[in-house]
Amino acid sequence: MHDIEGVIRENLPLCQSFYRCKIELARPMDKVIPGQFIMLKVPSAEIFFRRPFSIYDYGKRTVTILYKTVGKGTRALASAPRKERVMVLGPLGHGFEVHRGYTPVLVAGGIGIAGLRLLWKQVKKKGCFFYGCSTDDEFALLGKITLQQPRVCTLDGSAGFCGNVIQLLEQSLHLLGERPYVYACGPQPMFASLKGLLAEKRIPCQVLVEERMACGLGLCFGCVRKTLDDREPYKRACVEGPVFDLWQISL
Amino acid sequence: MNGSGTLGYGREIESLWSVDTLGAYVTKGLSLKPHHGNPPPRVWEERQGMLNSIGLQNVGLERFFAEYFPLFKERNTPIVINFFGFVDEEYIECAASIRPDPFIVALEINLSCPNVTKGGICMGKEAQSVFSIIERVKRRTPIPLVAKLTPEVADIVEIAQAAVSAGADGITLINTMPGIAIDFRTLSGGNLSSAHGAREGEAPAALPREGATRAPLIGFRGGLSGPPLKPIALKAVADVSRAVRVPVIGAGGITDHEDVIQFLMAGAQAVQVGTATFIDPFAIPKILAGLGAYMDEHGLSRLESLVGAAHA
Repeated sequence: MHDIEGVIRENLPLCQSFYRCKIELARPMDKVIPGQFIMLKVPSAEIFFRRPFSIYDYGKRTVTILYKTVGKGTRALASAPRKERVMVLGPLGHGFEVHRGYTPVLVAGGIGIAGLRLLWKQVKKKGCFFYGCSTDDEFALLGKITLQQPRVCTLDGSAGFCGNVIQLLEQSLHLLGERPYVYACGPQPMFASLKGLLAEKRIPCQVLVEERMACGLGLCFGCVRKTLDDREPYKRACVEGPVFDLWQISL
Repeated sequence: MNGSGTLGYGREIESLWSVDTLGAYVTKGLSLKPHHGNPPPRVWEERQGMLNSIGLQNVGLERFFAEYFPLFKERNTPIVINFFGFVDEEYIECAASIRPDPFIVALEINLSCPNVTKGGICMGKEAQSVFSIIERVKRRTPIPLVAKLTPEVADIVEIAQAAVSAGADGITLINTMPGIAIDFRTLSGGNLSSAHGAREGEAPAALPREGATRAPLIGFRGGLSGPPLKPIALKAVADVSRAVRVPVIGAGGITDHEDVIQFLMAGAQAVQVGTATFIDPFAIPKILAGLGAYMDEHGLSRLESLVGAAHA
């Protein structure tokens, strides 16, 4: 793997505090598996660590990320102009594993959509996608993903089902077809509700988690997530994750 | 070399560069039995540096030798086993259980952990306890022993001298510096005294004693590493290398080959690169290339002539 120089070709707000950034790389990345991420050296002397971003899309030597400004690093990135040079390390981490014989059900909460877009490209013919966000402004994050009304929801009821995406999923469980397999990405409380919802039928599920990272390569053991493995409970989100089996992590 | 705990178990870096790039690989801190480490969050970003509180997560000696050690033999790469314990006996048993091997060039004893039998005070802070532990470890292993010291002491020369008189064959300077960070955002809707775990009108709770695994403080307690540490490390290297006759290994904030030259000039005979690898995983190969270019430029065939050059 190489640390690849890239040039920001686009870095635009999609709606309040959500941005899309396209980076053209000087050389191609290795094959990307949906759910993998990059470590991006944000162009600011103030920012020490690289920042992890899910690969939203990749093609023609251009990697696309979606991000929400939540701290210093993402705010610095949001103010980076076009043509700014950045360093990109990736693709990193353990991505989604798609199992044959199941109906893929993708569940994204808010910016969690950034981690599911590539998987959706791969499974959209036979799967379904549920998306929940705070207000209908955030439908801008859907981009080219087209969903039917009942499969979107907003917390404020401004469009689609009024409620969170797990409540929406609960209402729609009967629509999921034979042998659903859930792939989810979103905030922490979403995973807990998802676990509650899927527990009875023990529906298989993989989740893409977010952790504060230093290296992104498994060197520092800084980004661990607690699992149910008694022998070695803390697993690195950057190597053993960021995609984990929902039934193997502790929430 | 890499700093202990900054290059995983070695194999993680192999998709970028081979471990045989290193003069020696320093293991993650190992203990006799596996340790789970601390719950997250474990890392905190500071200006040009970081705090970490990994909590010494490791698979234990047995699994290390079974699963990770063979890579270094395959790559013909010498290794330094960094090890620790929470009581004297753990250190001693750990060192004694490591069988000598041509690839193990040294043991590096981490003296910065809390000693649970002494109220959590870190072993490396008192010359007497440093002397005692090193003397006892030395009796149980024929492998050269390097003492890695904490900078959080009144007189690091005194500690280093105690280590050497007990038989230490080298000194690594320095480990991370203990620090705390406070997330000011936790104050929203609260006030300062509540941020310290006390109700309004009550005195804020005291900071926890040393060695407590989690602070009752909203914030983050961990070891500071990265460039802010460099001047402190350079001073420790300069002072100690003049006072002891064993090799000193320099560590603390080294980011490029110019930093390495400064450490050599201060008296280090070898260096460890740690946090820099997190920011640029190619930092170590780049430093080596930089040193090579520097040697060519100055017509040096060895770097040894630089060692201690800053001591007029």
